[in-house]
Amino acid sequence: MKDLKKIRNFCIIAHIDHGKSTLADRLIEMTGTVSKRDMQEQILDSMELEREKGITIKLAPTRLVYEYENKEYILNLIDTPGHVDFTYEVSRSLVACEGALLLVDASQGVEAQTLANTYLALDNNLETVPVINKIDLPSARVEEVKEEIEEVIGLEAQSCPCISAKEGTNIDQVLKAIIEKIPAPTGDESAPLKCLIFDSHYDNFKGAICLVRVFDGTVKAGDQILMMQTQKIFEVTEVGIFVPNTKQVESLSAGDVGYIAASIKTISDVKVGDTITDATNPIKTPLPGYKEVQPVVFCGIFPVDGAKYGELKDALEKLKLNDASLHFSPENSSALGYGFRCGFLGLLHLEIITERLEREFDLDIITTAPSVSYNVYKTNGECLEISNPSNLPPQVEISKIEEPIVKVNIFTPPEYVGTIMELCQDKRGIYKDLQYIDKRRVELKYTLPLGEIIYDFFDSLKSRTRGYASFDYELSGFEQAELVKVDILLNGEKCDALSMIVHKDKAYNRGRDLAERLKKIIPRQLFEVPIQACIGSKIIARETISAMRKDVLAKCYGGDVTRKRKLLEKQKAGKKRMRKFGSVEIPSEAFMSILKLDEDDQ
Amino acid sequence: MTGIYVHIPFCERKCNYCAFISFSSAENTRENYIDMLDSEIKSRADGRKINTIYFGGGTPSILSSSQIEKVSNVIKQNFDLSTLEEWTIEANPNSISEEFLKTCKKLGINRISIGVQSLSDTNLKKIGRLHTKNEAIEKIKLAKQYFENISVDLIVGLEGETGEVLCDYAKTLLSLGIKHISCYLLEVYKNTKIFEMIEKKEFAPLDDDAQIDAFEKLSDFLQKNGMIRYEISNFAFPGFESKHNIGYWTREEYFGFGISAHSFLGGERIENAKTLSDYKNGSKKVEKLSDKEILEEIVMLGLRCNQGANINSLKKLGYDISKNEYFSQYIKQNILKTENNKIFLNERFYDVSNTIISNLLPN
Repeated sequence: MKDLKKIRNFCIIAHIDHGKSTLADRLIEMTGTVSKRDMQEQILDSMELEREKGITIKLAPTRLVYEYENKEYILNLIDTPGHVDFTYEVSRSLVACEGALLLVDASQGVEAQTLANTYLALDNNLETVPVINKIDLPSARVEEVKEEIEEVIGLEAQSCPCISAKEGTNIDQVLKAIIEKIPAPTGDESAPLKCLIFDSHYDNFKGAICLVRVFDGTVKAGDQILMMQTQKIFEVTEVGIFVPNTKQVESLSAGDVGYIAASIKTISDVKVGDTITDATNPIKTPLPGYKEVQPVVFCGIFPVDGAKYGELKDALEKLKLNDASLHFSPENSSALGYGFRCGFLGLLHLEIITERLEREFDLDIITTAPSVSYNVYKTNGECLEISNPSNLPPQVEISKIEEPIVKVNIFTPPEYVGTIMELCQDKRGIYKDLQYIDKRRVELKYTLPLGEIIYDFFDSLKSRTRGYASFDYELSGFEQAELVKVDILLNGEKCDALSMIVHKDKAYNRGRDLAERLKKIIPRQLFEVPIQACIGSKIIARETISAMRKDVLAKCYGGDVTRKRKLLEKQKAGKKRMRKFGSVEIPSEAFMSILKLDEDDQ
Repeated sequence: MTGIYVHIPFCERKCNYCAFISFSSAENTRENYIDMLDSEIKSRADGRKINTIYFGGGTPSILSSSQIEKVSNVIKQNFDLSTLEEWTIEANPNSISEEFLKTCKKLGINRISIGVQSLSDTNLKKIGRLHTKNEAIEKIKLAKQYFENISVDLIVGLEGETGEVLCDYAKTLLSLGIKHISCYLLEVYKNTKIFEMIEKKEFAPLDDDAQIDAFEKLSDFLQKNGMIRYEISNFAFPGFESKHNIGYWTREEYFGFGISAHSFLGGERIENAKTLSDYKNGSKKVEKLSDKEILEEIVMLGLRCNQGANINSLKKLGYDISKNEYFSQYIKQNILKTENNKIFLNERFYDVSNTIISNLLPN
C-alpha cells in the first residue's frame, strides 16, 4: 500500500524572470533526479522556443525523490508558464496540485504577475508558500520584499526560505517547506478510477498522451478507460511518470502525477480538463474540469503557398492538442485565399504559435494583423460577434458596436507614473486608482479597450519605463464605442486582409499611416498603383506607388547566359513570398504592417 | 550557324566601373596568353563552318598586329570560314592605329566595335578611360576609312548625362556614319573603383529613374533616326544588327576561347576557368541543360530581343506558356504580343524585363 503522506504535488508560480526555471533546475539537481552529465539549464523547457526566449510556455511535470528526516518523499513538480497570456495554463496545473511555491525576486519585489498568480492559487485552495529568490544580487532587499509580500499579498513571509537558485543557496529549505507546509494528497486507490487530464501532447508512435493527476483509484496497461466528456473508450497501452523524461511504470494510483497512453489516434478525443474513469466501473460525476477558455486576440493565418492549406490544417490540429486555448476555423480571403481565423490568449501566444508553425512544421505562413472580437448590434435586432474586420456589416446596418474592455494593473517605480498615464490616456484608457505600495512601487489601475492593448501597448510600456513596469490584465466586459472600419483599396480593389476596426477619432491617422507604410513595403510594380484608405465609400487617404522603371540585366558578357538565367530564377523564387492581388503583388509582411503602425511614431 | 568568341583579357588600364577579368600586364604575359589561346583553339576545333567571329575583351586592340594575326590564322587553319558573314573586333579609341586597322582589314575582319562610352572629357576621365572626346571622334573617322560597319558603345547613367546630353552624343556619332550603338546602363559593383568614388562623393551617377529617363530619350531619338532597338541594349540600322549577338539570343552554338569565355555546344553551357593557371590546365565548368533550363533560356533570351520566343518550341518541351498565371494579364496590358506563334515583349517594357521574364518562367 502506497503512503499518500509521502507524496507532495506542487507547482512554482512567479512573475516572468523571477527565476522559476532555475529553481526547478536546482530542485532536480539536489534530488539527483537527473545525473550531472545530462543536466542542462532550464531542463524542463524542452521547446527550442522556450530556451531561446527564456520563458516557459508549456507545463512540464517531473517527479523528484527526496529523503527528509529518514523518510523518502515523492515530490511531483509541475512547472508553469509565467506570462500573462498563459494564465490559463497556470490554472490548469494548479488543479493537479495541493500547493504552490510563490517565487519572488528579492530585488524586483511583488510584480503584476506575482499577484495574478497568487489569486489563481488561492482560488484553487492551494497552500501557497512564499520563497524569496536572488538574494545574491547586490540590489536584493529581502526584508522589504518580505513586507511587500505580507502587505500586498497577505501571506506570512517572515519565516519563508530566502534563496539563490542561481548559486544553489538554501535549496534544502525549499524542499523542507514543500514537505512541511504543503498538504499531502488525499484519495483512495481502491475506489473507482478518477483522474484529471491537465495536459496532452501527441506522440507519433504512441498517439495522444494524456498528462494526468490521479485523484482516486489505480490505472495500469490493459485497463479499459472512459473519457467522460467525449464518451470514448480506450485500452491503456502504457502508464508512466516523468523524471523528467517519460519512464514507464506498472501503475498509477491516487495522488500520482503521470501519463497515460492508449493508442488514441484522433487528437480531438482527448480534451484537456476531461475526467478519465474506469470504463467497466465508471464514477458518476466527473471532476469540475476547466472552464473553456475564450480567445481574446484573433488573426488570420494563411499558407504562403496556397497548396499547403492541408499541411497548415494538420499543424494547427497538432498544436491544438498541446494547447487547448488555441482556436481556429476556416477562413477565405480574396487577397490571401484559404486559411484560418485563429484565436489566441494574447499577443505572445499568437507570436509563439506562428513561430512554432514555422519552426516545428516548416511552414511558410502569412499572418494578418491581430484583432479583437466585437459585439455588433444590427438595426434589425441581430447581434453578431465579429473578430474579422472584413466581416463587419456596412455602417448603415449597424446600430451599435461594443468592444472588449480590460482591467489593467500596472506596477511601476513612481517616476514613470506620468508617462504611463499619458500612454493609457492615448490608448483611450480610464483611470481607476493609484496606490503607493512602498516608496519604490506604485500600483496603477486603468480600464482600457483590449483593441488598443493589442497594438503596441506592451512595447510602449516597456520602452517608456525602460522595462521597470510590469502589467497584467483581465477581461472585464464589453462597452459601446464609436468604431468604424477602415478599408484599404489597392489599385481600386478592396484588400480584405488589410481592413481594420478602429475608433472614429483615430481612423484618419491610422488610415493615412497605413497607406504610407504600405507604400514603403509594396515594391514598385509594372504600372502605377494607387493605395487608398477609406471609410465606407469615403476616401480618407491616398498614396501612389509609382511604376517600376529599372529592372533589367543589360549586358550579356561574352555569351554568359547561365549567369542571367540564374539571376532570373532567383528573382522568380523570391516571388514566392509575394501575394498576387489583382495585378498587384504584395509581400507577405505587408499584412502585418497594421500592427506596426504606432512603432514608427515613437 | 556557329559563332566563335575569343576573349582578350588585357587592358592598358582597368576602367573604374569594370568588375570584369582583365589584366594590364607585361608583354610576355600577352605572348604566353596568345600561345595558350592557340593550343585551346587547336584542341577544341572540329573544322566546322563558322558564321560569325567576335574578338572581345578586355581590349583586343591592345594586341600587336602579329598577335592578332597569329590568333586569326589558328582559327582559319582549324575551322571553315567559307561561309563567314561577320567578324567583329572590339577596340578602344586610344589604341586604334592605321596599322591596327590595316591588319584587321587584311585578315577579313569586317566590323569594328569602339568603346566610346561618353563624349564628356570630364566623365571619360572619371571613369578611367584613356581617350578624349576629340580622340574618339578622330578614331571613328579613321576607322570609317577602312570599315563601313562600325559600332560604338555608350554608357547610360554617368554624371550629368541626361537624355538631352545623350541625344547630342548620338547626333554626333550618327553624323560620323556609325551603323550600330550598344547602350549599357551603368552598373556599379562593390569591388570597383567607381563604387569607392561614389561613396566618397567624387562621382554622382544618375539615380535609377533618371538613368531610365535618359535611356528612353536616347532610345526614342535613335529610333526616330531609323535605328531598330533589336535587343535591350542594342540599336542598329536595318541590316547592321550584330549577327554574332543575335546568335546568343536565338541559342545558336558558339565556341568561346580564352580565359573565362563561354561556349554553347551540343546542349552544354561551358565556362572556361577564370584564372590564367587554371585556364592553362584546361579546366572548365560544363553544364548540361535540363529541359526546364532550356525552356527558361528560350523565354529569357527570346523576350529580351526582337526575335521573340517560339510558342511551339516551348510546347514541345512541355511548357504551355499561355497557361502561365501572368500571360493573359500581360497580353491585356499590351506588355506581350503574339505573332506567328511567337511571343514578343513590347519594347517599352525592356527596362523592366526582369520582372516580366521571371514571372513567365515555368514553375
